[in-house]
Amino acid sequence: MILTCGIDVGSSAVKAAIIKSHPGSGRAREGAELVATHVERIRRRDQRHVIRAVYDGVLEAAGLTESDIHYVATTGEGELVDFRTGHFYGMTAHARGALFLEPQTRAVLDVGALHARAISMDADSKVVGYRMTSQCASGSGQFLENIARYLGVTLEEVGALSLEGDRPEKVSGICAVLAETDVINMVSRGISLPNILRGIHESMANRLAKLVRKLELDDGIVLVTGGLANDIGLVHATRAALVEHGIDSRVETHPLSVAAGAIGSALWGGYRYERLSPDTKQAA
Amino acid sequence: MVDAKQTVTEIVARADALYHDLEFGAVKRWKETHPGGKVIGCLPTYAPRELAHAAGMLPVYLRGAGDQVEIIRGDAYFQSYICQLPRGMIELALSGRLDSFDGFLFPAICDVIRNLSGIWQLHFPDKLARYLDIPQNFDVEVGGRFYAEELRRLLTDFEQLSGQKVSDDALRHSIGVYNTHRRVIQNLMDLRSEKPWLVPADETYLVLRAGDVLPVEEHIEMIKQYLQSVVELERPMRDHSRVVVSGAFCEQPPLGLIRTLERAGCYIVWDDMTISARFIAGDVSTSGDPCVALARAFIEQGVESASVYSCKKKKGSELCETVRKAGAQGVIFAAPSFCDPALLDQPMLQTALDQESIPWTAFKYAENLGQFQVIREQAGTFSDSIRLWGA
Repeated sequence: MILTCGIDVGSSAVKAAIIKSHPGSGRAREGAELVATHVERIRRRDQRHVIRAVYDGVLEAAGLTESDIHYVATTGEGELVDFRTGHFYGMTAHARGALFLEPQTRAVLDVGALHARAISMDADSKVVGYRMTSQCASGSGQFLENIARYLGVTLEEVGALSLEGDRPEKVSGICAVLAETDVINMVSRGISLPNILRGIHESMANRLAKLVRKLELDDGIVLVTGGLANDIGLVHATRAALVEHGIDSRVETHPLSVAAGAIGSALWGGYRYERLSPDTKQAA
Repeated sequence: MVDAKQTVTEIVARADALYHDLEFGAVKRWKETHPGGKVIGCLPTYAPRELAHAAGMLPVYLRGAGDQVEIIRGDAYFQSYICQLPRGMIELALSGRLDSFDGFLFPAICDVIRNLSGIWQLHFPDKLARYLDIPQNFDVEVGGRFYAEELRRLLTDFEQLSGQKVSDDALRHSIGVYNTHRRVIQNLMDLRSEKPWLVPADETYLVLRAGDVLPVEEHIEMIKQYLQSVVELERPMRDHSRVVVSGAFCEQPPLGLIRTLERAGCYIVWDDMTISARFIAGDVSTSGDPCVALARAFIEQGVESASVYSCKKKKGSELCETVRKAGAQGVIFAAPSFCDPALLDQPMLQTALDQESIPWTAFKYAENLGQFQVIREQAGTFSDSIRLWGA
């Protein structure tokens, strides 16, 4: 049995997952089991400290020790993980993790703290195309977090509140600064929280739908991953936006979508472990 | 016993300081300890430094201003479609940073370097500005004879500049010193392809770049010490892909870009970034006419480079061979924007790689590039594709 740990170092959270897979199960890692996941937000803490805490946390959740792990695979800002064996680029890891969580996935919408990207993939999770948001943060989690803070709600409350909105207010979808100004104006005009949040979600969803449209997908599920994957308001708005843009693919999320990058890198770690030279295996 | 980690740290710190010192403090210090000694600045790619060494001069490779100097005056001399290196050179010279240099050697690489030598002659008439022609014919009896004569003429110029007559024995001694230099560099390159985790790309690069300004004897000792100490370190072996970097033989990529490639999951097991000191593969003969020996070595032992016209072998065959020898899994073409030699050769090299099913990716840079995110994504994806979807 091969035990691998994936660590996804994002700009606002560190996610870890431990995967158990069978030797000889190739890229598909058929029969692989997710043993444990652990996620912590970085807040204002030292990133290396958080990484260590997350690694310890996932090991504890799995009832394992460091020496049980055959391969530590990173994604995101992986160079901060001194004990890593190998690193996988974000798109490669998210595509693999998404396929594990939802086998019908053919595209991923990775919505992180600083950017969003749409990734198309084949049935083996090989990345075949991608589109990213530009440098502006208005389609990102950091923007949503800032807005939530201004409005005095937690990120966890945002999704449910947004679903209550019945007359969403339009927000700038181009510039985070303009969008924040829009929100301040809305508050002073007495617009309700749900309608403000729903307006923001619709604006973000519109940007995400444009990314997905450029992928020219044939079929399959679009799985939302990354830090905002559990924001049900955003997922709901994205579903509607895809329909508006004439895209047939179904938008889904998964309770473990936030950890998709970590899961994906752990799965790739298992595949790579079997292909390592004996020296590298020993060092790992 | 001196701690290996401390030795490596000190060597790399010294190399880093030399790399970042565009005031050329090392050159000034050399002149202080060698009263009357002359310094010759050599442009890329290859300069026969043995001649300057034999004449008691300090040959120093100059590679533009990197990413440290804001180019203001340099831009006035070149059109927007010209690479960055000559702008940096002009900026360094006009700002007085090259005042301690007594002469400059412009090896024939491309039209830009040729024109730069002309600009130099007009602007700095009190300094030697020597254009070095290299053979286009690789028959020893034709190109070899021409180049040996060219080397003799260059040696005469160096003798005049240094005021020192160079005997054949003195030149043969210098060739011997540079043979030792080539051997220790080869040892470092061998370690790099065998155990790349011990010698990170940025560290190796800095150590090799220190040889641009240090006297060759000092650089030999630096590399020896580095090699001796670095093998004692316990550095983690990562599951990285192994790549060759090609196309960066003249204008240099910023250090941040080299670090980015390794951070993206690529062990650089061979590159042409510091090809200048490795341009002649193996020893140059220390018997017979030394100028003939140097010319012969250039013709027969010169490595394949886009900066040299050569019809010795099929274009790209040497790159494929390098990939195999270094145990690389792919090639990253990193060429400076507007570099005619690198970018004109690239399609031929890529075709050769395709024929041998060697994966490659390509991007362009400038020496003053400050954002590496796009390159990181490209290199990272390339590394993933090699490891996960390669043979």
